[in-house]
Amino acid sequence: MNTLPALAAVISVGMITYASRAGLIVFLADRPLPANISRALRYVGPAVLSALTVNLLAGGRGIDGVEFVEVAAVGVAIAVAVVARNLLAALAAGMVTLWLLLWLL
Amino acid sequence: MPAAEPVDPRSEEHTPAGTSIAALRAAIPLFIPAIPFGLVVGVAITDSAMPTAVAWSTNVVIFAGAAQLATVSLAATATWLTLVATAAVINLRHVMYSAALSPRFNDQPRWFRWIGPFFLIDQLFALTSVRTTLPGPVWRRFYLTAGIFYFLSWTTVVTVGLVVGSSIPVEWRLDVAPAIMFAGLVVLGLANRPGIVAAVVGAGVCLLALDVPNNGGILVGAVSGVIAGYLADVAEARRDDRLDTKAAR
Repeated sequence: MNTLPALAAVISVGMITYASRAGLIVFLADRPLPANISRALRYVGPAVLSALTVNLLAGGRGIDGVEFVEVAAVGVAIAVAVVARNLLAALAAGMVTLWLLLWLL
Repeated sequence: MPAAEPVDPRSEEHTPAGTSIAALRAAIPLFIPAIPFGLVVGVAITDSAMPTAVAWSTNVVIFAGAAQLATVSLAATATWLTLVATAAVINLRHVMYSAALSPRFNDQPRWFRWIGPFFLIDQLFALTSVRTTLPGPVWRRFYLTAGIFYFLSWTTVVTVGLVVGSSIPVEWRLDVAPAIMFAGLVVLGLANRPGIVAAVVGAGVCLLALDVPNNGGILVGAVSGVIAGYLADVAEARRDDRLDTKAAR
């Protein structure tokens, strides 16, 4: 990615980020979100982050891009996150799994 | 994320310095879990298809960990439009924060209503949304102190990750760390059963839609996941209502 398109992307994302944080505070002061909208917004986090995980595993190469070692590492990280409720522990467990499998296989 | 306990108003109400110290003391523990995340973002910047300086500028221009990580790691495979749209969807949760805090901003000066939202990351929301009973100027000082602290420490940690990351060999496969990070964030963000439905449907549909051009599968998966989570939420609320009616009889 060249400098100019990269910069354009970063500035666009920055503006959107600011808009989503400031919109209701600056422009719509004191007007609550409709209940349906805030109900749906609650599920944006889990839905988009899990989709993003899958997409990053594929690395732009479709289903062929999904490697077994990566899936195993993410699987262990998920299990550790469920049990330990700790992001650092999950990250460490995932990376160690990855390194062990790469070394073994 | 642990819920921040409301600080004793007496300790913050009187002196500006006391408020700032209380803000820092409350802010630091919540930052510790973000350190590995910041390091991963720093490493992802060194791996990014973007020029390093531009990828680093996400700290100052975007200042939102998940959106930054998506922006720098998708740059290799996504088009401009997919990249921006994905980051936009990731940031939608900030609309909730904005909605929840907007009453607290009403009596604040205009400059603060414009500048304050820039700092509104998850941790700052967790700290300030439980302290809305503080007097206006005290709450503002608390908000800005913690916000600027997070901004400076986040930028520092990401820069450390960048410096360290560029000297780590490729065989360590640190390129997998963002995916692991996002998976962990999903799990820690799950608060109820509809959340699990949203995550599973989001991942599943994205997997089926991997061949959609330009990484469009992320958005297809995300939208499906949100709809599924919403429907599961509605269904669960209905069921609870029925159980309540039965219990009342």
